[in-house]
Amino acid sequence: MIWIEGHLVSVGPGGVYGERMLQGCRVWDPKRSKLAALYYLGTELELGPDHRVLYLGAANGTTVSHVADYTEVVYAVEIAPRPMQDLLVVAGSRKNIIPILADAGRPALYRPLVEEVDLIYQDVASPRQVSILLGNVCFLKEGGTAVLMLKPRSIDVTRHPEEVFREAQTEIEEGGLRILDRVLLSPYYPDHLAFLCRRD
Amino acid sequence: MESYWFGDVEGRACEPAPGDPGLLAERIELLAGSGDACIPDWRIAVRCGALRDRAEYLKRLRDAAFILAEKNLGRTLQLDHSGLIQMVRMLDQLDEVINLLTERSVEWHRATHPGFSRKRTLPADRTLIALIRQDADETLSGLLDEIERLRDQRSLLMKQVSRRAEEVLPNCSALAGGLVAARLATEAGGIRELAVMPAASIQVLGAKTALFSHLSTGTPPPKHGIVYQHGRVHGARRENRGRVARTLSAKLAIAARIDYYRKCADAEFLLNAANAVRRAGRRE
Repeated sequence: MIWIEGHLVSVGPGGVYGERMLQGCRVWDPKRSKLAALYYLGTELELGPDHRVLYLGAANGTTVSHVADYTEVVYAVEIAPRPMQDLLVVAGSRKNIIPILADAGRPALYRPLVEEVDLIYQDVASPRQVSILLGNVCFLKEGGTAVLMLKPRSIDVTRHPEEVFREAQTEIEEGGLRILDRVLLSPYYPDHLAFLCRRD
Repeated sequence: MESYWFGDVEGRACEPAPGDPGLLAERIELLAGSGDACIPDWRIAVRCGALRDRAEYLKRLRDAAFILAEKNLGRTLQLDHSGLIQMVRMLDQLDEVINLLTERSVEWHRATHPGFSRKRTLPADRTLIALIRQDADETLSGLLDEIERLRDQRSLLMKQVSRRAEEVLPNCSALAGGLVAARLATEAGGIRELAVMPAASIQVLGAKTALFSHLSTGTPPPKHGIVYQHGRVHGARRENRGRVARTLSAKLAIAARIDYYRKCADAEFLLNAANAVRRAGRRE
């Protein structure tokens, strides 16, 4: 990962969402992207120029554009039509984003498009967050990494976050992934937990 | 045989798919629908002769994915007729803005004219705005002109909403009027959403506050929401109003389904429905 004067940056054409530029690089703001927050808090996750990424919940393409700066190709799945309009503009200026308008909970619908990937990044806030990730593990190659941004409040607001975390952890492990690390995203995102998993 | 987006592979034999992105997009859609597609691998595509290298693989896939995404996008946006719904929301916000600006102008006028009172009865052909404009200064009267212009725009938009509703909701519009039909669809969140809604929900669409206060604290349930705007409902005698609203909503629920699934007016249904609503209002 590239850091300039303590700021996380990525190298690519700027002006995607009005991001700040630093020595010609695009500043990756931890307040606007959970993945950037994860890097600020310290993680062993690395993005490389030969990495293939399946990105679930691409939204407006803010984080997607940074991930695409670091990697070979990003398969960006988003279900909502309005963010998709923005995502298409972002993808238009980058040759390595493949936009897919589909429900991440139904991977069969984009199965013909997506190849085996090194990294799955799951940022769909849904009560079925964990099972969405597990449904997409078929795209992850052996030894590949999966990142889940867990938001306990969209799973069940009435329960204590720690309880939801524990339950998610069991579900992930039963789904055949090994958990490498868990990182709380506070202070950038209170009550969010990032799970770093590996497929053995 | 294994089917990939770039071609069909059977053992060593391979049939490359046509390279045109539009045709590829159609192929991908078909493969996704069939459910037995395999996860693609670029090396198979090269071995098969469909593509030269990894760069060409990604370029072709990306072009096809773009066409597919744009096609699906057009489809979803068209489905919810968001044009009509956005028009109704604009209409509501215009009302809000016009009221706010008028209110503020009156306050301004009152501050500089101590003798002014709102209570004074207006001459039949004069609006409050016209009255204030008589002795307003240049800035205020310029603003008043703008308010008048917004009013004109509002009535133009209202006519357009009615017309559009008559096109996309012919049965609902014939039964309840274009504007009421459009408002119902907006409150429901779309034409499909209105079509799958039970009649009892349509009856109280737009009476959210009353409905939830009924559900949580047991106040009397609302008799009507937006359907109240229909002449037969608010024109009915008080004790009949609930029944008229219920009958009208029942018929509107059927009308919305015809609109969404059959997409044309059904004269026989409309005649029966109008009679039923009329009868409901007459009964003692």
